Amino acid sequence: MFDKIQNLRNIGISAHIDSGKTTLTERILYYTKKIFAVHEVKGKDGVGATMDSMELEKERGITISSAATYCIWKGHNINIIDTPGHVDFTIEVERSLRVLDGSILVLCAVGGVQSQSITVDRQMNRYRVPRIAFINKCDRSGADPKKVLEQLRQRLNHNAVLMQIPIGLEGDFIGVVDLVAMKAVYFEGPYGEDIKVGEVPSHLIDEASARREELLDVVSMFSDELTEAILEGEVSEELIHEAVRRGTLQRELTPVFVGSAYKNIGVQPVLDAVNRYLPSPMDVENIALDMNNDEKEVILSSDPDDLLVALAFKPEVTPYGQLTYLRIYQGSIKKGDDIINTRNRKKVKVGRLVRMHADEMEEISGTGAGDIVALFGVDCFSGDTFTNSQLSYTMTSMFVPEPVISLSISPKDNKSDTNMAKAINRFVREDPTFRSHVDQESGETIISGMGELHLDIYVERMRREFNAEVDTGMPQVAYREAVSRRAEFDYTHKKQTGGAGQYGRVAGYMEPSEDGVYEFINEIKRGLIPTEYLPSVDKGFQSCLQKGQLIGFPVLGMKVTVNDGKAHSVDSSEMAFTHTAIGAFKQAYKKSKPIILEPIMKVSIECPSEFQGNVMSSVNQRRGMIISAAEDGVFTTVDAEVPLSEMFGYATTLRSLTQGKAEFTMEFSKYSKVPESVAEELKKRLLERSKGG
Amino acid sequence: MNDFIKVSPLKILYKSSYKGLGRGNLGVLMARAGVGKTACLIHIALDKLFHKEKLVHVSLEDVPEKVTSYYNVIFSDLVKALDMEDEYENRLLLDRNRMILAYLNQSFEVRRLRENLKNLIEKIEFIPDSLIVDGLDFEEADREIFEGFKEIAAEFQVEVWFSALSHRHITDVNERGIPYPCSHLDDLLSVIIQLQPTQEGVFLTLLKDHDSEVTPDASVRLDPNTFLATT
Ligand SMILES: Nc1nc2c(ncn2[C@@H]2O[C@H](COP(=O)(O)OP(=O)(O)O)[C@@H](O)[C@H]2O)c(=O)[nH]1
Repeated sequence: MFDKIQNLRNIGISAHIDSGKTTLTERILYYTKKIFAVHEVKGKDGVGATMDSMELEKERGITISSAATYCIWKGHNINIIDTPGHVDFTIEVERSLRVLDGSILVLCAVGGVQSQSITVDRQMNRYRVPRIAFINKCDRSGADPKKVLEQLRQRLNHNAVLMQIPIGLEGDFIGVVDLVAMKAVYFEGPYGEDIKVGEVPSHLIDEASARREELLDVVSMFSDELTEAILEGEVSEELIHEAVRRGTLQRELTPVFVGSAYKNIGVQPVLDAVNRYLPSPMDVENIALDMNNDEKEVILSSDPDDLLVALAFKPEVTPYGQLTYLRIYQGSIKKGDDIINTRNRKKVKVGRLVRMHADEMEEISGTGAGDIVALFGVDCFSGDTFTNSQLSYTMTSMFVPEPVISLSISPKDNKSDTNMAKAINRFVREDPTFRSHVDQESGETIISGMGELHLDIYVERMRREFNAEVDTGMPQVAYREAVSRRAEFDYTHKKQTGGAGQYGRVAGYMEPSEDGVYEFINEIKRGLIPTEYLPSVDKGFQSCLQKGQLIGFPVLGMKVTVNDGKAHSVDSSEMAFTHTAIGAFKQAYKKSKPIILEPIMKVSIECPSEFQGNVMSSVNQRRGMIISAAEDGVFTTVDAEVPLSEMFGYATTLRSLTQGKAEFTMEFSKYSKVPESVAEELKKRLLERSKGG
Repeated sequence: MNDFIKVSPLKILYKSSYKGLGRGNLGVLMARAGVGKTACLIHIALDKLFHKEKLVHVSLEDVPEKVTSYYNVIFSDLVKALDMEDEYENRLLLDRNRMILAYLNQSFEVRRLRENLKNLIEKIEFIPDSLIVDGLDFEEADREIFEGFKEIAAEFQVEVWFSALSHRHITDVNERGIPYPCSHLDDLLSVIIQLQPTQEGVFLTLLKDHDSEVTPDASVRLDPNTFLATT
């Protein structure tokens, strides 16, 4: 158990790939004495940084799965939730952001705020996560922390303020000036663990004073006491910390730190800042929905003596069984407790409870509100809520985007067949955006997800972790169908083949629904269709939505109104009415002028400004709609909306267009109608495909 | 969208001699800080967009996301105020016919703008009819920048609308009655309108109207919340 909830921090470290997130985490774990040697990412010793636990991640040098790691810094208990830096794995980011209370945004002093940082930052806004920023790699040539500060203000719209200025830069970077204490801080010893505090070097006094002025100016907005103290000329460090904390918690201020994780400069002050400025679980309001009360919102109490409410966020299969990370929002959990999964009302007994350190587990007997623990042997999905038996709360559902791309996979041999099934079973649990089904016609296994790379990673994990060798088909865009106008139906289903007959008649109309959700409207009068058959009618219509008649893709929501019909006292049955509805659907669907919808991605491309024209035309050639181009000195960011089907192979095109100097990110945005000119061609292609195999 | 014209702040231009600014010309909307310059400028933009013109919004301060969200807010106000029926079509017009070019961190140069406009025309066949320029600092900007814009207006046959920040405490006017900070530039500017809050409401007043005398009643009263003209 931890001492005080006020001293607990659940934080994430988010960053653009390669900004040094892994290195920073490694150093943090070293200084907090959780690991005993510093390894480099992709280091010579082949050990790799501790947070990247999967083999594949190590090889690619990117962090895919989030793990929660526990450490202690100056009397504060800190859970570090590792958020993936790669945007194709947005659900992973979203999921970890859900359980964070605050975050360190790591930026590279050379690369600055790049398009991925923008995507990640947008997500943090969505979850209202307060943050502090760390400008890393100040030792690299080309480091320009002031430029990065400006980008934080301009590109991310942060009210960012420097808490430190660097002493020297690039090869001469040796320490930082703390603008609150107005002292120079140096980091000595083999790993920077000995902190030496000295006077501000004389050549930096002017700059430091000016930056301190700026700091006071900005943060006094958040504290009247500080404003007064400034007027009286008696500013204490405490008052400044207090004001910075307030601004940060309100998400109106981003305090900025500088350093070099690699050279062991400036990491400890970031930890101090986590303690000082980022919220404890008590400072954050969390909301659950009460399933027994019409899903009414309830505010959770963060009181360990209250009834338990906890969220499972990271089921993982380990050699010891399923390991599930739990964020406890209210109440406490201990070994031997009975807890209930709100989703299926299943009761589970809490067995082993552990705290995850980077490279070892610590068994604990229990913990309370605010904390994060992992428990063994509980069978559940990511996003499940656990309570004790008295409550039926569910944590507000996480935003889970629908998969936009799919791929057929087939095992190369028998052994792979079993292993592939095991792998899929596990991935589906870990990642709600990863889905799998067997196509009824071809018998092929189809996996779907959020992007080409997303699926690639899983196929590779099948090979490496599960020994499943698979062949993959061409990636396929997840199209949808929808009705485009109102169409009537009046259908009679009649069968008389010896024995009991089947009879039903349904009339009404179908029409587009505004929000894309299926809706069944009953306007039957005088019991023309007996009420007990109406669910079967509804079911019949819904069954038709799985596979549209236009191109065989799912039909997006529509409104179906049934206003007339007829039943027979002997020959009508539930089954008869389901069949009637299916007939009625087929009758009306063709008349409703169905259209094809395709997933549209929000694409953001960053390139040196001289390539702006070429990048724009490459987007234009892909049926993209350019929304904006923003120049920032030598770089331009082009934002556009592009159909996913046109984005295959774009990475290669972009590389050759810009000599490898551009990068892009994409995120699902919406479904839109495929233009007529494209739709005809597409229909032909999809039909051929389904005939061909 | 006939209704729009009844409530558009642009109504003021129908009181001007050419019923508008005209291609090749520069126009300015002046106001003090916090009066609603940007909102008003976006109304000018929407008026163009709803007339199926193509428009480039040049932002010297705000990131594109912020600019889009301004448009969205004002658009949804309009939807409400006008009980708009063809909301979807108008939304499409807005998205398809507006391009945002942002120049952050003081990176604006006329040369870059010209380059970017050429790209739009040559690479993606986006041929603008008007430019909206928000965030240009009239006090700091050299005359050359405005001459540059004048050339751009002529070269690309577009009309260019600026917003300019005026100050309560600087009341200088030149001999033609044009106030600071446009007073030294008015030979380059064809139309100047001023947005002014008064006791009776917010007013748009025509200060310069091409080469004609400004009629004394050339003002329109605006709703202080939506910046739509009140009738
Ligand atoms: N020069 C310098 N290199 C760094 C620094 N931090 C990380 N690196 C290097 O940058 C690369 C990417 O770092 P990593 O921590 O894996 O970044 P991540 O992708 O954000 O996790 C590695 O080669 C690191 O050694 C730093 O402060 N200075």
